[in-house]
Amino acid sequence: MPDVILKNLPFLMSGLGNTLLLAFIGIVGGTATGLILAILRHLRVPVLGRVALLYTEIVRGIPLLVMLFICYFALPALFGYRSGAFQASALGFVLFIAAYLAEEFRSGLRSIRTGLEQAGLATGLRPAQVFRLIILPQALRRSVPPVFSQYVRLLKFTSVASVIGVSELTGSALLVNAREFEPVIILTMTALTYLVICSILSFIGRVLYAQLQIRT
Amino acid sequence: MSQSPKIAIRSLSKSYGATEVLHDCSIDVGQGEIVVVCGPSGSGKSTLIKCINGLEPYQKGSLTFEGIEVGGAKTDLPQLRSRIGMVFQSFELYPHMTALRNVMLAQIHVLGRSKSEAISRSMQLLDRVGLAEHASAYPANLSGGQQQRVAIARALALDPDVMLFDEPTSALDPEMINEVLDVMTRLARDGMTMVVVTHEMGFARKVATRVVFMDGGRIVEDRPTEAFFSAPETERAKEFLSRIITH
Repeated sequence: MPDVILKNLPFLMSGLGNTLLLAFIGIVGGTATGLILAILRHLRVPVLGRVALLYTEIVRGIPLLVMLFICYFALPALFGYRSGAFQASALGFVLFIAAYLAEEFRSGLRSIRTGLEQAGLATGLRPAQVFRLIILPQALRRSVPPVFSQYVRLLKFTSVASVIGVSELTGSALLVNAREFEPVIILTMTALTYLVICSILSFIGRVLYAQLQIRT
Repeated sequence: MSQSPKIAIRSLSKSYGATEVLHDCSIDVGQGEIVVVCGPSGSGKSTLIKCINGLEPYQKGSLTFEGIEVGGAKTDLPQLRSRIGMVFQSFELYPHMTALRNVMLAQIHVLGRSKSEAISRSMQLLDRVGLAEHASAYPANLSGGQQQRVAIARALALDPDVMLFDEPTSALDPEMINEVLDVMTRLARDGMTMVVVTHEMGFARKVATRVVFMDGGRIVEDRPTEAFFSAPETERAKEFLSRIITH
């Protein structure tokens, strides 16, 4: 490994740690929020279904950077709380990726044919049971590939947090570069690191999907 | 018939917007009767059978199951449906569950049976339809005929009073039709009350107590099986029979 990297390794590793933590929070929070939004829309829940639609449409029309600024400056001003850059960006990623994940989950839900729903109802299951036991598990399985590609997108998006001063991988790399001025080595290593993590993430997605496919 | 009918359909009408799909249909199905409903496609057979367990709503007339109005605002449809088994044209097995779990699901979540009870009852039913050794197979790994037999076991798992079959063999390859009809024939012999929408006239002739012929959303004939096949009353039924039996 090049000297410039070795010398700054602890600092870069803490940046990598922040990247992974941001991605993790975004994945967990975004998946939970996205799934709720998708279910509200799919079941056409009065009012809340409409709100979910409006939310996904609005968020998908906002650039990620603007979303982070909103979470860093606008929301704290509006609701009167203080927010560090890390918390603000974590919130931004959750809110941002949730809208995209909601769309993926919703198309998974819509892909389940109505005959299965009728079959469940015909055995006396209540609509909520049919949804929980029959529709949802299959929809989740089908959603795995598109959802994991959203996770991969999110992982790369975390680099935008450097703009509001979060020392994640890209932010740390830029700081090291400002001191050492070895852009080729530093940025190549940074890019490779993202590539490796993204590949691992896609690999997990493929394995998970293959595991679930056996059963369908 | 001394008893009141299990299913009583009176002047039932249903329309999608301006298109009327059922017009003034009346049928009684008594305990132990096997009623075959036949007719050209689009005649409303499937819609009618789906009205019986409330999968299709109706606008006019009355449909009662053991005296309970199926379309009534206060009717507990899930409770009612748990006493009526239904088998669909395209099987509709839950693809993410094994054959065994397909048969178990409603026993646990509707009847509240324990897991071990549900397993033993399911295995008994899978054995009855000749599929005990496929209990752990997923639907995708079963042939169409096997899937439909699992679907029959799934419907029987609730110990229903009535079984509805909506074109159970229409999606099957010819060589698999008989294995499904055999199961249905045995079921009929065991005294199950059945309403069967089918084009299998051989089955109808052998098993049915009555044949209902529908055309254009109306019930055109409703007669004892022998009478229907030997001397259909209407031109339309004659024409239908000659077209379906020539081969």
